[in-house]
Amino acid sequence: MASISVRDVEKRFGNGPAVLRECNLDIADHEFLVLVGPSGSGKTTLLRIIAGLEAATSGEIYFGDRLVNDVDVGDRDIAMVFQNYGLYPHMTVRNNMAFGLRRRKLPKDAIDQKVREAATMLGIENLLDRRPRQLSGGQRQRVALGRAIVRDPAVFLLDEPLSNLDAHLRLQMRTEILRVHRAVTATTVYVTHDQVEAMTMGDRIAVMNNGLIQQVGTPEELYDRPVNRFVAGFIGTPAMGFLTCSVNRNGDRAELVRDGVCLRLTEEQSRKLTLPHGAAVVAGVRPENLRPVSADGSDSEVSVVKGAIEVVEPLGPEQHLVVDVGGEMVTARVDRDVAARRGEKVSLAVGAGRAHVFSIDSGEALL
Amino acid sequence: MTAVAAPVRLAGPGRLRRWRPGRAAVVALILVGIAVALAPVYWMLATSLKTPFAATSLTPSYFPHHLSMSNYNELLVKGVVPFKTYLANSVLTSVIASVVAVAISALAGYSFSRSRWRLRGPTSVAVLATQMLPLVVFVGPLYLLLLDAHLLNTYTGLVIGYTSFAIPFGSWLMKGFFDSVPVELEEAARVDGYGRLSILFRVVIPTVIPGLLTTGVFVFINSWNNLLYPLTLITNNSHQTLPPGLLDSFVGEFNTDWGGMMAAAVLTTIPLAVAFFAVQRYMVRGMTAGALAGT
Repeated sequence: MASISVRDVEKRFGNGPAVLRECNLDIADHEFLVLVGPSGSGKTTLLRIIAGLEAATSGEIYFGDRLVNDVDVGDRDIAMVFQNYGLYPHMTVRNNMAFGLRRRKLPKDAIDQKVREAATMLGIENLLDRRPRQLSGGQRQRVALGRAIVRDPAVFLLDEPLSNLDAHLRLQMRTEILRVHRAVTATTVYVTHDQVEAMTMGDRIAVMNNGLIQQVGTPEELYDRPVNRFVAGFIGTPAMGFLTCSVNRNGDRAELVRDGVCLRLTEEQSRKLTLPHGAAVVAGVRPENLRPVSADGSDSEVSVVKGAIEVVEPLGPEQHLVVDVGGEMVTARVDRDVAARRGEKVSLAVGAGRAHVFSIDSGEALL
Repeated sequence: MTAVAAPVRLAGPGRLRRWRPGRAAVVALILVGIAVALAPVYWMLATSLKTPFAATSLTPSYFPHHLSMSNYNELLVKGVVPFKTYLANSVLTSVIASVVAVAISALAGYSFSRSRWRLRGPTSVAVLATQMLPLVVFVGPLYLLLLDAHLLNTYTGLVIGYTSFAIPFGSWLMKGFFDSVPVELEEAARVDGYGRLSILFRVVIPTVIPGLLTTGVFVFINSWNNLLYPLTLITNNSHQTLPPGLLDSFVGEFNTDWGGMMAAAVLTTIPLAVAFFAVQRYMVRGMTAGALAGT
């Protein structure tokens, strides 16, 4: 098993712009780290550099204490599951799984046993004599996983392995992958653009955008304390709503105000926010922190956002209200019993200390 | 009481569709096309089964009234023409040319598809450009080269001639097949610890078997039918192939033995037909099915 260290990695293709910049990442032994970000953020490139399928333009990759920049991919003791599975079409499932073991010149009996064990773990023992084209998407996914785990690798790399599955199967395979991770205990790096997948699977998550690692942390840290507006907006479904406000200082307390919005900061938040009266900021509010209140019964101590309901999305146990607040949209997650109609005026109370504050220029979190 | 209409048995939708006028016209057009394509084949077969008199009659009959195997008998049993020698030479040179051309085209096509080397683009276009010139243009230079190399009147010289014209097109054909092989397969094999050549022969080549067969059949047909090169490069009758051999044997200054020529043509066509039908099923479906999600 191995820890992974990524040190100042940069990647350019030819003379083009850097697709990865200043990437630094430490992944502990046995850890399940998820690289998450939108398309083009560089997460797959970083994974391929860790795998050895791409060379970093500069920077270093360590597996444990061993610098692996010049170590061939086949000698890195990794296994990889590709986005499109990459199963050998002319081989049976058994041979697909055994192919890597044969290269290591293991005895035939040992290979058979390892393949059988992996197949049993994934419930594909009855598919061993089939070819990939005779398998469903979910079965191919299992075979790809089996081909990886049978190698008993030190590092397990998965590149958006669930993106080709339907929602139901994706949920099922998510559990399956976690089960496999617990069983094989290899250090795992998992790439996805789906933040729900990232939140539910990762011990820690690295959020990437524009070739930069924006923040690394546990799912809770990323959700509760995003370091910038990008992470705040990317993590969480529905996404955090953003409102451009100005700082209004009133003695020891500060509030963020604009037409129809008054977000009161706690004493501690007011102290931390060093911006002067009148400075422009971006306030961020999570959907679950917004709850409808009657407009006339508003308490002067409660933060309120007023707007008009633009969209009502019923989801069964709850509903999402997309509210237009002076041209900016925020989403509120409310109980299904709340009567809401499109175009209706609504007042939403924000829980004390629940507002996030970001710099209007850099997008960095100010609290 | 509500009246319920008795069920009426209608022709199924498939049956109705089958006899739509548009569909009938398409079928008729296809049948005409097939007839036009098969007419020469039929004429070849019919003439080969006619007596010498019927085959050269000024009022030709569409059907052989008396089936005669005399043309085949003369070719295969009496050995009036060294047909078996020509046939053996054709088989030998065409098969070797196919194998050599497929091997070289596969390696060149893989390089054009996957390798990143300087001047790859211009080189691949230059290779393709050779196909824009007619075969006859190469005969002169090829003759002089083989003359210098003392390879005229040899099977080797003929095979070099066949493959020199087949490899450029074969390389491009193979490039197309290699392009369709997902890079993930090779990357998966790299992760599994295999080197470049192992990946090529264990993973990539088995997935482009339809391409190899297509290229092989293409080279075989071209070599088999090639009249110009053996006519120019071979003067020794013992090394001659079927096309110039038959031309020489059946077409005289004052007389053409149509029956004999057609019988020889039928026998010449059989190996081609066998080669084509033998590999046809492999060429229908791509071998990469199932390699990737959604394929």
